[in-house]
Amino acid sequence: MSLSVPADIEKEIDERITHYPVSRRSAVLPVLHILQRHFRFLSEDAVSWTAAKLGLEPIQVLEVVTFYPGFRQEAPGKVHIRVCRTLSCAMAGSYELLDNLCQAAGIDASRMGHHHPFAVSKDGRFSIEFVECLASCGSAPVCLVEDELHERVSPETAPDLLARYS
Amino acid sequence: MVTLNPTTHAYLDGQLLAFQPGDTILKFVDRHKGRGFVPTLCDAPQLDPYGACRVCSVEVALKEDGPRRVVASCHTPLSAGMHVHTQTQKVQKLRRNIVELVLTDHPLDCLTCEVNGNCELQTVAAKVGIRKVRYPEGKNHLNRQKDLSHPYMTSDLSKCINCSRCVRACDEVQGQFVLSMHGRGFDARIIKGFDTSFEDSECVSCGACSQACPTSAISDIFQSKAIVATEKTRTICTYCGVGCNLDVATKNNEVLSIQAPLDAEVNFAHTCLKGRYAFRFYNHPDRLRKPLIRTNGHFEEVTWEQAYAHIVENLTRIRAEYGPDSIAGISSARCTNEENYLMQKFIRAVIGTNNIDCCARVCHSPTAFGMQQSFGTGAATNSVEDLQHTQCILVIGANPTEGHPVTGAKIKQRAMKGVPLIVIDPREIEIVKYAKHHLQLRPGTNVALLNMFAYFILEGGMVDRDFVGSRCENWSEFEAGLRSLDLDQIEEVTGVPREKVRAAATEYAESPASMSFHGLGVTEHSMGAKTVMLIANLAMMTGNIGRPGVGVNPLRGQNNVQGAADMGCQPHQGAGYMRVNDPAMQRLYQDFYGMPVSGEIGLKIPEMFEAARNGRLKALWLMGEDVVQTDPNSEAVKESMNALDFLVVQEIFMTETAKFANVILPAASFLEKSGTFTNAERRVQRVNAAVPPLEGTKPDGQIICEIMQHMGYPQADYTADGVLEEISRVVPFFKGATWEGLGDNGKQWPVKEGNVGTPIMHLDSFKRGLGKFHFFAWQESQEVLEHGLEFPYILTTGRLLEHYNCGTMTRRTGNADIVVEDVVVINPADAAKKGVTGGDWVRLFSARGEVRLRSRISEEVKPGVIYTTFHFPEHLVNNITSDVHDSDTLCPEYKVVAIDFERVGSGDEPAGLPIREKGRAHTLPV
Repeated sequence: MSLSVPADIEKEIDERITHYPVSRRSAVLPVLHILQRHFRFLSEDAVSWTAAKLGLEPIQVLEVVTFYPGFRQEAPGKVHIRVCRTLSCAMAGSYELLDNLCQAAGIDASRMGHHHPFAVSKDGRFSIEFVECLASCGSAPVCLVEDELHERVSPETAPDLLARYS
Repeated sequence: MVTLNPTTHAYLDGQLLAFQPGDTILKFVDRHKGRGFVPTLCDAPQLDPYGACRVCSVEVALKEDGPRRVVASCHTPLSAGMHVHTQTQKVQKLRRNIVELVLTDHPLDCLTCEVNGNCELQTVAAKVGIRKVRYPEGKNHLNRQKDLSHPYMTSDLSKCINCSRCVRACDEVQGQFVLSMHGRGFDARIIKGFDTSFEDSECVSCGACSQACPTSAISDIFQSKAIVATEKTRTICTYCGVGCNLDVATKNNEVLSIQAPLDAEVNFAHTCLKGRYAFRFYNHPDRLRKPLIRTNGHFEEVTWEQAYAHIVENLTRIRAEYGPDSIAGISSARCTNEENYLMQKFIRAVIGTNNIDCCARVCHSPTAFGMQQSFGTGAATNSVEDLQHTQCILVIGANPTEGHPVTGAKIKQRAMKGVPLIVIDPREIEIVKYAKHHLQLRPGTNVALLNMFAYFILEGGMVDRDFVGSRCENWSEFEAGLRSLDLDQIEEVTGVPREKVRAAATEYAESPASMSFHGLGVTEHSMGAKTVMLIANLAMMTGNIGRPGVGVNPLRGQNNVQGAADMGCQPHQGAGYMRVNDPAMQRLYQDFYGMPVSGEIGLKIPEMFEAARNGRLKALWLMGEDVVQTDPNSEAVKESMNALDFLVVQEIFMTETAKFANVILPAASFLEKSGTFTNAERRVQRVNAAVPPLEGTKPDGQIICEIMQHMGYPQADYTADGVLEEISRVVPFFKGATWEGLGDNGKQWPVKEGNVGTPIMHLDSFKRGLGKFHFFAWQESQEVLEHGLEFPYILTTGRLLEHYNCGTMTRRTGNADIVVEDVVVINPADAAKKGVTGGDWVRLFSARGEVRLRSRISEEVKPGVIYTTFHFPEHLVNNITSDVHDSDTLCPEYKVVAIDFERVGSGDEPAGLPIREKGRAHTLPV
């Protein structure tokens, strides 16, 4: 099994690696970000591919992937939603927002955990992740749908929010 | 009165003390107060500072009453005049709290834990004064499965305290990158490979992680860290020429486990799976325990006295009837210096012939000969420690990560830190991954390639003219030879593009300090000795001699192959390399031994076999060598054994060779004897018996002494220090060596008076005066010229990490569960041509015979080159190897065999060869 990386992505990766001339290990994070952006998660093949690309051992990449919850080791839904759980948002209702989004999307929130920070709906359309601060405390509660920031999201409007991405 | 210098001293709890450049605070404290004075969990002396656990926290201030800061002492560099406070209330409280938090996450089952009483966590907890843990219990991870998958390594990660010592040991000591930390926080845990088991990971079972682990989270089946092993004996490993120091733990005269001492200069808390784990051969049921005499075709048990009487009678008869030159001895590079010395003394002084040789003949005799021609001394010029000073490493015909694992790991570590590595090898061996240059030549073309290498140094104007002019001779002949080279022809025969060679040569010549290592890929060729002289040329023409980080450094194969030659187990030179046919030297030996000695050069091993076959050699004494299985062209060797009138074999097991013997004397293994081994860097180190000889057996030295006495020679009884003293009186470079003076870490010869060793040789002049250049034009091996057309593939042979030569020892240990058979490695293109897929049975055939092996398809060999190992002699790889030898030393050419091959069946078919089931390999098919 090997990862098939499109030429343009590989070119972008090759260019990014040149930003780290001293230690190739420093390039692990940026390479993983590019691969996750393209493949939406990091498979074992992606880990091996990155290691081979940078002349490292796969385990030196795997340890980075497993350390950061931001790196996904399983495929998310077609639309990935990140709900902020840090203080301001929590006080402004992000826990309810998370519950409502899960309910509307048909997601079993109990499946989220420390090492599986997100869960996917049965139909695979949505995945929801409870994340640390999204840096928009003044407009709490907030969530990111893919790369789009939604501010002052009232928990009741959860079904409407999903409907916009259906 | 010590002068207190503010630039080299700092204050430790108010006391001004000296530190060394590069000291961290913890090293400084350890040196003055002893290890453990400031506790730590994540720091270990063999690992780089890490700063994870913070238990070693101390307060520091730059002035006596200045503001104090808490820092982790393990990774904070010390600076002059610093005030370090190790016992303040603040740091004591901090340490206690950290350890308390660690304990909330640790199962409290000390009483049933294997390391109870010898656990660093326990010690540190006691040291920081923990009586009870104030915090609620955290996750204890008791649900983590134990990993008992591997023949040696075990893990129980419920005991893990996440100090990462094991991960760092794997990375920094061995360089294998098998272990890592997965996840984070309470869920952080150690994984192997892609979260698999030890068995399924790429683990090489060196045990560095187990030794580094402060608890029993990673351990081994011998429970090496368990306190039950109360007695420890420091000795030297019996396997390769690295010469690792071992701490052997014993109880009731039984070896329980082996660890690597922290203060060993050679191996600094590291060793490989052979040294650390492959010791259970020593009391294996197969060990010979009674002398045996062949009577009417079968062996009968006799007493030692009966055996000695039988030997004396026969040797006396044969000597009287056919003369002393009808008797020969083959000594063993596995035995001690003292035993080798006695063996050659027995043959020379008691029998009266120079027919004495040892297994260096079949490995590094070309190195000894070649380096003597160039430098005057046939031994490594520098020390392995010099890897820390070198700026370019050249590895030729050696696979150090398998053959010399601890040195291999050091080379790998240096290459990973950016020291350019050049590898000249027909195979893509493990270190090629870390190499800047890999010159993948066709086997048998070393001389051609190295000539081109030297040519580019000359052509690039990189010759060190000062060095060549002042310290060498015969340069103009060499230069003229290089200028006459036909580079097109060399490119063609080696298969290496000239630009690659030029780049590598430039790297080697331009580095301020370049160090070369070579192995059997250099010596076991028809031009072996000449290749060694070429390597010496490279060092001389670039001035890479006589300084730290340079030189020519053979990776000697066996634990004491250096010593066997030093002690005179060769037919042309006696103890200390004096020529036997020099009348002055003959007189010297005669006076020393008090017996007439022969002035005629004796027979080399292959000549002994030939002499046996044609009836000139009647009796042979073999000490610890299985020539039938390990020497090339086995059928011819067997014929020689059969032709002998009288064969004595000193052995620990019933080997293939022993089966031909008239008398078998049961010897003791390295764990049961004392003496010295000399490693590849000329370091003479003390071997100490950890257990007494197995009942019924005797150490080889004692056997030789006793037979000398029975033959009427007044040899004193065997003691290690006594024989060493005798050696120091005749071997010039042992002059200053005494048993006491060698100390724990040995001394590198020449050992001058007062036990002063010599880490670097040829500082200002060579042993022979001027270093001599030699030029040799490359010649195709006779094997290829004669049989190349009919047998178009070249078979080359090598070794695996897990096994040692014919496996007499390693195959009687758990190593046999890791690797169970020899396989043949074929390039995909060649495999496709012959319709072979991976795992298929393949028949290899040469002009001499055939062998069947399972195949592995890999691009590690080029098309046209086939590779295999010969650890499993029942596969009989030596049935096909050739009789071609190095023209100077008669070292056999194991590395170039003209063969052809064909597929004979799928891997599922047994193909008539018994392949033992995994897990049942500890008893050899005899």
